[in-house]
Parts: sequence; structure tokens; C-alpha cells
Amino acid sequence: MLRTLTLTATAALLCSASVSQAHAVSNQMRGHSNPQQGLVQMVAVNTDGAHKFIENVTSQGIDFLANPDLSYDQRKQEFRTLLKNNFDINTIARFSLGRYWRTATEAQRQEYLKLFEDMIIDVYSKRFGDYQGQDLEIGQVRAQGDKDAIVTTKIVPKNDPEIQVDWRVRQKGNGYKVIDIIVEGVSMAVTQRSDFSSVIQRGGGDVSVLLDHLRK
Amino acid sequence: MMKNLQKTLNTSCMILATCMVLGGCASKDPIQVNGIEVHDPYEGYNRAIFSFNNTIDDIIIHPIVKGYKAIVPDPVRTGVRNVLRTLRAPVNFANQVLQGDIDGSANVLKRTAINVLLTGGLVDLAGHEGIEYESEDFGQTMAVWGIDHGPYLVLPFLGPSSLRDYAGYAVDSFADPLRIYLNNIDEEGWYYTKVGMDYLTLRASLVDILEELESSSIDYYAATRSTYYQRRQALTEDRSSSVSDYSDNNNAYPDIEDFE
Repeated sequence: MLRTLTLTATAALLCSASVSQAHAVSNQMRGHSNPQQGLVQMVAVNTDGAHKFIENVTSQGIDFLANPDLSYDQRKQEFRTLLKNNFDINTIARFSLGRYWRTATEAQRQEYLKLFEDMIIDVYSKRFGDYQGQDLEIGQVRAQGDKDAIVTTKIVPKNDPEIQVDWRVRQKGNGYKVIDIIVEGVSMAVTQRSDFSSVIQRGGGDVSVLLDHLRK
Repeated sequence: MMKNLQKTLNTSCMILATCMVLGGCASKDPIQVNGIEVHDPYEGYNRAIFSFNNTIDDIIIHPIVKGYKAIVPDPVRTGVRNVLRTLRAPVNFANQVLQGDIDGSANVLKRTAINVLLTGGLVDLAGHEGIEYESEDFGQTMAVWGIDHGPYLVLPFLGPSSLRDYAGYAVDSFADPLRIYLNNIDEEGWYYTKVGMDYLTLRASLVDILEELESSSIDYYAATRSTYYQRRQALTEDRSSSVSDYSDNNNAYPDIEDFE
């Protein structure tokens, strides 16, 4: 799942619109959401802040993906930094392990967190070449529960249908972190969890079976 | 045509019966995908067919689909897709009505009027104007009516679905006015051409996604199953539609506990 997540995120990052376009759309967006803004802010996260955060993350992603002067390793390093600064990897990792998080030993948890992060970076990195200048338009932003916001974006390939990519963003202190990416209604976190729990279940309920796979 | 359909139905029934016999695996922990209960009583059979389908995809379907994408220019493929979507308008409209989705029904009519009158269905002008295409089928309609998926089923060549959604597909095909019309004028060959083109465009749109999912998952079968249920849920709730009120649905997003 994480990998799918990474894939999706990469796709999304890759596809981020030229910054100017993102700005144009986001301004439009703000115009639309203004009447609700006060209300949303009272009860939940700052949707305007979440919007700016995603605008920022995606344009950073585009910057390194579209930069022809970077080597593969340099891109991978940029990506690792971007991921660590803007994604709550441990929260995603813990969710992906589902109920098996509780049964894992402390040592297994630590190893799992490490392997999970490496897996994401590996999977995304393989797809750097897929970026072909697709646009990413930021659409509407809405609060989800008390802590989260959903930032809706669209990847617009030149000739294929648009792909809807929603970013689930959680307010953390003064900042924000991405905790899930939802592509056309398919949550990366949920898919990852389904994958992992099936592996563990078929392995007799033992978390170490999953760790064996991740080590490969 | 009727005979052919009957044959198809008979074959389907035989396959289903075989599933039932092969199935009956030992019960295990219930599977949940984002709050949706997944029933996969024939998992052993499903996994075998899944693996068979993957082989067929690798050696036949994906090469054809990649050839199609490589040889046919993008604008032509887009035109083909637009025409196929236009031909599906009656089925989409009927299902919107059956789901009681008034805005959705109106959108089908608007889209069809704009696209057919101005471009003969070749260009999605309406989509550019923000009246986006929504694919509706009888499986989604049954979901809106509160009918569950029933067992998850992977059929040879057809892929993953559920008993409900396969039944929905049969109903859509049977009731499709285009099929009935072409059948009446003895031109059912055109209908099968359309079905073939539907399949080709569907597979063309899926090929990259599936390869990505396969390479990124450990248990590709489980990842695909999860994706199927999530995607169907999103379609049923019209989540990408500009007229839906998806934000009111609290079940759409899982609880994600903070890592501390």
C-alpha cells in the first residue's frame, strides 16, 4: 500500500501543475470557499493553510522532478527530504499494519517503521521517470473530522482522462502533514493495510512474515 | 443475439456453480476494506483464476493494449472513448433515474445533447464545460438500493468483481437500447464491435495502474481486491461528481490514529 501510496504521491508530485497554474486555480478556489471559511475554521483545521501546504509540497515535488540537471541519486535524496518533512510516515505505517501493530513486539515495530520508509522511497523513486509535465490543479478543500482536511487535486494528462487525487492532510502543531493519498476513491493507506494484513494472515498471523517480505 | 446471450448466461451459471463447489473454504477472519465487509468465500478458486488472468494479461492482453496505445494516436483514442461514452448514455441515464439522482440524470441529458449536436459525440465539449462524465451501472444502482456485493468473484478473462456487480453488468447489457436496436435490424455485429472496443479502452486505461499495483504490492490479489471494493464504493457515492455531497459521508475516510 505504501508503495502504491508512494506511487500515487509520486504521480501527484510529478504531475503538479506549473506553479502559475496552481496559483490561478487556487485563487479561484478560495473565491468559492470564502463563504464557508469562517465556519470551517471555527470547528476544524485551517483549510486555507492545508491548501497552501499542498500547493507547496506539490510544487517542490515538481521542481526536483522537472529539473534535468539532477542525477537519479540526487532526486532520490530530494524525495527523501520532501517525504520526511511533509508526510507523517509513522502514522501511515502504523495504520497500514492495522491490528497487528498491537501484537508486534517493540523490536518488530522499530524494524517495521524503518523498512516501511525505505519501501516507500524505493517504490517512488522507480517512478521518477513517469513524470512528463502533467498539470496538477488544486481544487476544493474541506474539513474532515476535527483534525484533518481533504485537499482535492486533479492530475491532467495531455490526452488521457483526468485523475482525481485527494490529499488527506492533518494539522500538526503549527504545520501540516500528509497522512493519506486517495486516487480516484482508492486510499493508499487502506490498500496498503489490505495488502499487509493478507500477507500476515496467510502467514499464520505472524508479523515477522511481513518483515521478511519487506527486507527483500 | 438472444441465443448468444443465453449461452453466455448458461456459461456464467456453470462457472458460478463450479465456484460454489470449489469454494466452501474454511472460514477465517472477516476481511474489511474501509468499513465494507468483504466476502470472499471462494478465495482459493479466485486466486487460481486471478493468477490465470495475470498470465493471459502478460502474454496476450497487455501486448495488444500497449500496441493500441502506441500505434493509435492519442486524439483518436480520445475520440473513440468519447464515442463509446456517448453510446452508453441510455444505460447511464436509466441508472441515474433508478438511483433517484435527478442532477445526475439531467447531466447525462445535457452532456449528450451538447456533445452529439455539436461534435457528433467525438469531442467531450460538455466535460470541458464542467459537466463531467459519470459512469453508472446497475451494480451501482443495486448498491444505492441497499443490496450488498455478495461474494467476491474473479472470472476468467473478465477479472475481479462481485456477484452483484456481475449481475448488474448482465442487466445493463440485456436492457441496453443500443443492443436491442442493433439486434432488431440484424446488425448485432456492431454491438459486439462496441463491446470489444469497450473492453479494449477499459484495459488500456487500466494497464499502467495494474502494473503499478502489482509491482508495489506484496500480495497483489489482496491489493486488487481492496482496490476493487474501494473504487466501487467511490463510484456508487459519485465521489468525483461535481454535484455530489461526498463531504457529508463520514464513512468515506478511515480513522487514522496518530502515531505518538
